[in-house]
Amino acid sequence: MKNQIRQIFHSSKFLGGFCVMIFLLLLMIVYPLFVTDDPLEMIGQGNFFKPGTYISVTDTVDTDTYTLKLDNVGARLESKISVEDRADMADWLEKFGGVGISQIDVTDAEGLIRLWEQYYSKDAAQDGLLISKKKYYARLDKKIDGILEDTDLKIAAEDPETGDISIAETIPANAYVNTKDIATKRTFILGTDNFGRDVLTELASATKTSLMIGLVAGAVATLIGLILGLLAGYVGGFVDDTIMFVTNLFTVIPSFVLLILISYSVGESARGVTLVATIIGLTSWPWTTRSVRSQVISLRNRDHVNLSKLSGHSLFRIILTDILPYLASYVVMALIVQISSGILSEAQLSMIGLGPATTKVSTLGLMMSWAMTYSAHLNGAWWAFLPVIFSIALISFSLNLMNIGLDQVFNPQLRD
Amino acid sequence: MKGLKKYYTNKLVWYFITFIVAVVLNFVLPRLMPGDPVSGIAARAIQGMTDSTAIQKVYEDYIEKFGVNEPIMTQFVTFVKNAVRGDFGVSFSQYPRPVSDIIKSSVLWTIALQLPAIIVGWFLGNLLGAAAAYIKGVFDKAILPFFLFVSNIPAFGMATILLSIFAINLGWFPKGGGYGFDLIPNQSWAFFKSIIWHYQLPFWSVVLITIGGQAVGMRSMSIYELNADYVKYSRFLGIKDRKIVGYVFRNAMLPQITGLAMSIGTMIGGALVAEIVFSYPGLGSTILSAVSGRDYPLLSACTLIITIMVLLANLFVELIYGVIDPRIKAAQQD
Amino acid sequence: MKKRFKKILSLILVGAMSVSMLTACGGKAEQAAAPAGEEAAPAKEEAATEEATPAAEETASNEAGSTPRNETLYFAGQQWGSINDWNPMSANSNNAMGITQNDASRILIYESLFMYNMLDGKLYGLLGKDYKWNDDQTELTVTMNPDAKWSDGTPVTAEDVAYTFDCHIKYNSSKGNDYGSYIESVTAADDETVVFKALLDDTGKAVNPLKVLGYLPDLYVMQKAYLEKVEERNGEDADKVKQDKMEDLVASGPYHPYYDDDQKVVFERDDNYWGVSLWGGLPAPKYICHNIFADNAACQVALAAGEVDIDQQFITDVQKLWEEDGLPISTYVDEAPYGICASLPTIFYNVEVAGLDDVNVRKAIAWAVDYDQIISSAMSNQSPTFKDVPRSIMNPTEGEQALLDHEALKPYQFEGNDIDGANKLLDDAGIVDTDGDGIREIDGKNLSYKAECPEGWSDWQATLEIVAAAGKNIGIEIETYFPDANTFYDDMTTCKFEIGMFWTPGAAIACPYLRAANFFSKEYAELDVNWSGNYGHYMNDEADAILKKIPNETDTAKLKEYYTELSKIYLEDVPSFTAMYKPQMFHTVNETVWTGYPQLDDGNNIPPMLCTDGYGIAGLYNLKNVEQ
Repeated sequence: MKNQIRQIFHSSKFLGGFCVMIFLLLLMIVYPLFVTDDPLEMIGQGNFFKPGTYISVTDTVDTDTYTLKLDNVGARLESKISVEDRADMADWLEKFGGVGISQIDVTDAEGLIRLWEQYYSKDAAQDGLLISKKKYYARLDKKIDGILEDTDLKIAAEDPETGDISIAETIPANAYVNTKDIATKRTFILGTDNFGRDVLTELASATKTSLMIGLVAGAVATLIGLILGLLAGYVGGFVDDTIMFVTNLFTVIPSFVLLILISYSVGESARGVTLVATIIGLTSWPWTTRSVRSQVISLRNRDHVNLSKLSGHSLFRIILTDILPYLASYVVMALIVQISSGILSEAQLSMIGLGPATTKVSTLGLMMSWAMTYSAHLNGAWWAFLPVIFSIALISFSLNLMNIGLDQVFNPQLRD
Repeated sequence: MKGLKKYYTNKLVWYFITFIVAVVLNFVLPRLMPGDPVSGIAARAIQGMTDSTAIQKVYEDYIEKFGVNEPIMTQFVTFVKNAVRGDFGVSFSQYPRPVSDIIKSSVLWTIALQLPAIIVGWFLGNLLGAAAAYIKGVFDKAILPFFLFVSNIPAFGMATILLSIFAINLGWFPKGGGYGFDLIPNQSWAFFKSIIWHYQLPFWSVVLITIGGQAVGMRSMSIYELNADYVKYSRFLGIKDRKIVGYVFRNAMLPQITGLAMSIGTMIGGALVAEIVFSYPGLGSTILSAVSGRDYPLLSACTLIITIMVLLANLFVELIYGVIDPRIKAAQQD
Repeated sequence: MKKRFKKILSLILVGAMSVSMLTACGGKAEQAAAPAGEEAAPAKEEAATEEATPAAEETASNEAGSTPRNETLYFAGQQWGSINDWNPMSANSNNAMGITQNDASRILIYESLFMYNMLDGKLYGLLGKDYKWNDDQTELTVTMNPDAKWSDGTPVTAEDVAYTFDCHIKYNSSKGNDYGSYIESVTAADDETVVFKALLDDTGKAVNPLKVLGYLPDLYVMQKAYLEKVEERNGEDADKVKQDKMEDLVASGPYHPYYDDDQKVVFERDDNYWGVSLWGGLPAPKYICHNIFADNAACQVALAAGEVDIDQQFITDVQKLWEEDGLPISTYVDEAPYGICASLPTIFYNVEVAGLDDVNVRKAIAWAVDYDQIISSAMSNQSPTFKDVPRSIMNPTEGEQALLDHEALKPYQFEGNDIDGANKLLDDAGIVDTDGDGIREIDGKNLSYKAECPEGWSDWQATLEIVAAAGKNIGIEIETYFPDANTFYDDMTTCKFEIGMFWTPGAAIACPYLRAANFFSKEYAELDVNWSGNYGHYMNDEADAILKKIPNETDTAKLKEYYTELSKIYLEDVPSFTAMYKPQMFHTVNETVWTGYPQLDDGNNIPPMLCTDGYGIAGLYNLKNVEQ
C-alpha cells in the first residue's frame, strides 16, 4: 500500500494533476479566510467593472496632498486626445469650420484645441456627416472642454441650514495624493460581474460549490454503477440481461434529455445544489456499470473466487471480500472520471437555464451563464467568463491527469 | 459458428426490446414534464384580448386541436401509427409546421457538421495517442496534456473562445450562421465557398474537444499493446519494427472504435451548444426550443432520432466486433 | 424555392464535409481541393442562371443570389425561427418581420389605416386620410386615401376595410375576438368612407371608444377579392382560412416577400408602390433582410460587424460600442437611457396569497428593493431612474406625464433600497420573526415566496435576483423561480403565481387607460384565464369606479384628476410595483452602409420604431447610402 502510494507520487502526470488540484483547493479554502465578504453581495452599480483598485473620490479629496511639479496638461492631452481624435478634429475644422488646411497643425495639440474651441459648434450644419460621427464630435467637445486650463479646482459645499453654496476647499492643480494614504478603497482583482459582484470572491465560492456537485454526482453515479455492475457481472444470467437492458436504455436515451426532463419535473423551487448533483449522478451511471461489469466478468472465474464459492460463502461475502478489493483501484478511477464529468454537466445545465436555483449560492455554471446572457465576451469583459472557463477546465484536467497517473500505477502493463 | 449465431440472435432480440421501450419512453417522458403546452400557443392567439369567453374559447380550441385532452393511450397509438409513416404530427412551438418538416431542414446541418468533426477528431486523437505512446517525448509531455486540457474546456466555453478570438478579434472567420448574411441559397461558387467558410469554426470547436479524450484512450491501449508478449516475441524474432508497430496500432485501434460509435451517438447533445453559439442551423437549437416550448411532438421526434442513432451505432459496433476481434469472439462463445 | 434549396444544400454539405475532412487531414489538401471546386463551379453556375428567378434577373448587375449590401437594410432582434405564413389572421405566423399587428403595426407588407406616433400620441394617415368621431363617440368615420392601391393595381376601397373586419369576426381570429367586444360593425358608406359603429352598453354609451380608435393603427387592411379567393379555396372553414399560408398575397405595402428559409427572410421593394404620392418617393432600400440568429449575443456580434443595420435588442453597456470600440453605431438618444422608455415592466403580487394580502408586506418589499441596482445592472442604465421619473401608473413620455399632478403624489413616493424603513414598517405592523430563523411570520407562517419570470428573459431574471436579495435584508424569504415561458404564462394567467414579473401596455393610442386597467381592472381579475392584466386579482372598488369613467371622458383636467388618484392608490396600496422603465423598442443602428436614421432632436418627429413600425416607417424614406 505504502509502496503504491509512493509509486503514485512518482508518476509525473499524477503529480502534475495533484498540484493543480491542491492549488485550486487552497484557493477555495485560503482565499475566503482573507476575504470574508459575502460572495453574492452586489457591490458595483453597473455591469462588468474592469479589474483594478477603486478609490473613493471624496476620500481622495480629504487625503493629505503633495505637490509635484509635473506637466498635468500635457499628460492629460496625451491620455485624452488620441492621434485619431486629432485627425478627426482637423477633418471637421476643415470641412465644417471653414478653417484653411494650412492653419491646422495636427502635431500641435494645444493649437489644434484652441482652433477647435474657436470654431466648433454642435449646431453647425454638418451636411453629409454620419449621425454617429456628429455625436462623436459632441462628446469629444465635452471632453476637450477645459482641458487646457491648469487652474485650481474649487469644491463647493452646501450649507445645510440656509442652502447657500460656498467654496469649501480649493485643490491646486499640482496637488497629488499617494494612493497608499487613501482610507477607503477596494481592489477587484478580476473585476465585477453583471450584478456588480466581485468576480474573484464569487469564483472561489463557486469553485467550491461546483466541486461539491461533482463529488456528489460522482459518488451517486459510481455507487449505482458499482452495485449494478457487480450484480450483473457476478450473478450473470437473467439478472445480467435485465441490468444490461436498463443500462442500454439509459445509454440509448440521450442523457441530456433525461437531465432536462428530470430538472423540469422536479421544479425550480426544489432544485437546490444537492438535488442537481444527484440528478446528474442518476443519469451518468451506465458507463460505470458497463466497465465494472466487464471487470467482474474477468474476475469471477479466478481461482480464489471459485474457492470461496466452493467454501459456501454467501454471494454478498464473495462480492465484498473476493471481488471488490480487486476492483478498488478501478472504482477510484471511475469515480474521478465521474466527478469531472459531473462538474461539466452542471456547467452545461446551467448554461441552458436548468442549473441549481440561484439565490443562495453561485456555481461555475451559473457564473458562466450570467456572463453570457449579459454578453461579457462581446463587451471585452474577459474577466467575467475566461477565469470561469479555465476553472472548469483546470478541475477536470487535473482530475484526468491524476487518473492517467493512477492508471499507470495500477496497471503495470500500461507502464512505459 | 452456432454460438455466434445464437449470440447475434440474442443481441438482436435485446436491441429490439430496447428499441420498443425507448420509443415508449420517448413518448411518455416529455409528457411527464409539468406545465401546459397549450397555454403557450394560446398565449399568442389571445394576447390583447379582453373578453373572457372569447379567451376561453380559443383556449379550448387548441386543447382539442392537439388532442392533449385525450387519454394518453389514445395519444400513444396515434403517435406510433403516424411515426411509422414518418409523420410526427404538428409542432406545438412552431405550430402549424409539421415536425418532420422542421427536422428535415435541420438534421442535415447537424450531421454534416458533427459526423466529419467527430471522425476527424477521433482520427487526430488516435494519431496523437499513438505518437504519445510510441514516440513519447514532446508528444507525451506537452502536446497530449495540452489537448487533454483543451478537451476539458466545456463545449460552450470552447465555442465562445474560438468565436471571440477568430471571428470577433481577428476577423478571419464569419461570426455565425450557415452561410453569408447577404446571400440567398443558389448553386454558385460564391455560395459554396460561403458555406465552407461558415463551417470552419463550429467544426473545429468540436474537433478540438474530441481530440484529447480519444488520444488518452489510444495512448493507454497502445502502451498496453506495445508491452504485450507478442510484440516482445516479434522483436526477438527480428521482425521489422515498422511491421510490428502496424500490428500494434491496429490492435490498439479496435477498442477505440467503440469510443467512436459512442460519440456518434451523443453528437447531437454536444451540437446543442456549439450550434447556438455560432447561430449555426441544426438540431441543437431545435431541441432547445422544443424543450423550452414544451413541444412534445418535436421533442419526441428528436429523441427518437438520437435513440435510433445510438442503437444503430452500438449494434454496428457489436456486430463488427464479433467478426473482427477473435478475442471477443472467443469470449462470446465462453 | 424551399425544396430546391434543400437539394442544393445537401449537395453542398456533402461537399463541405469532404473538403473540411481533407483540410483536417493535411495542410496541402486544401490547395488540392480548391481547384477541383473551381472546375465544378462553371457547371453549377450554368444551372443557376437557368433556374434563376425573374427577380434575380432584374438585379443582373449584381451577383446572382445575393442581396447586395448597399441595397439591403439588414435587421436583427425581430424574427426568431423560421416563418410559418403571411396571413394576418393567423395566430401562428411566427412572422414578426412581416406581420406584426399591434398599437403601432409593422407596415412593410400590409398596411394599416393609420400610423401611430408615440412621440406626439397622434395618428397619421396611411390608407386612411382622416377620422372623425360623432359627438357622443359612438360612430367613427374614416375617409380613405384615394391614392391607395393594391399590389395588383386596383384601388384600396372602403369595402376592403369593411370586409377585413367581417373576416376577422367571421373566422374568430384573435384580433376579431378582441375588437368584436367593442366594435359592432364596420361598413362602407361609399367607396371612400368607412363607418365604425361602437358597441354600446346599457346606458347607450360606447363600451370603450378608446378601443375603437385603437383599431385604426392596429389592423392591416386586406383585399376583399383576395380574401374571397382564400375563403373559397378553404371552403370557408375557419381553421383552414386562419392557417392559409397566403404565399400569393395581395397587399398594399412598399415591400413584398422575396425569399425565406430557416436562416433568413427577405422582402423586396415594390417599385410600383402607391405611396410615392404620400411619401414623395420610394423607400431607399431595395431589400429588407432579417437573418435569423440564435440569440441576442449573435445579433450583437453581427451589428458590431456591420452586418446588421437596425437591431431591436437589449445590449449590455451599449454605449461602449461607440465610446470604446469607435464603431459607427448610435441610438436614438445619445445618453442614458439611450431610447424612449414607454413601457413599465412590473412586479405583481398575488394578493390572494397569505401574507401578500397584507399591504405592509407588499409595501415593505417594494421599499426594500434596490431600484438603482436594477436600473444600473439589470438594465445597464437603459432606463431613467425613479428620481428622474417618479413612480406612477404612467410611462415616462411627456404626453402621459402631463396627465399627472406630481406634487400631489410626492408624499407617497418611495425611492427603494430603504431597508430600515421597510424593517420598521414590518416591526410596527407586528410582523416579526418569533422563532429566530431570520424570517418573519404572520400567524406562525414564514413569509416565503417565489418570484417568477420565464427562463431566458435575462433582464427580468436579473431584476428578480435583486428583488430576492432585498427580501433577504428584511426577513422575507424570496426565491427566484424561472420556469419555461409556457408554465409562466399558465401561472400568471390563472393566478397561480406568488410574485411575478410581467409586462404592461407601452405606448398606444388607448394608453394610459389600458395600463391603468392592467393594474386595477376588476373585470380582468374575474376572468378565468386572464391575459389582460391585474394578474394578482387586486380588487379596489374605488379604483374600479374611476377606471370605468375614463374611456368616455374627454376633458383633460378630469382625466388628470383620475389618473392622479389612481396613481395615489397604486403607491399607497402597492398591488404591484414597477421595477424599471423599458424602451418601447430597442433601436440601435449601424451607419456602415446606411445613414439618415431618425434622431430625437432632428426635427422630423419620427419615433425610434426601427423605421418599420407605425409612423416610424417615415424613417425608411430618409435613409441613404453612406458615401464612401
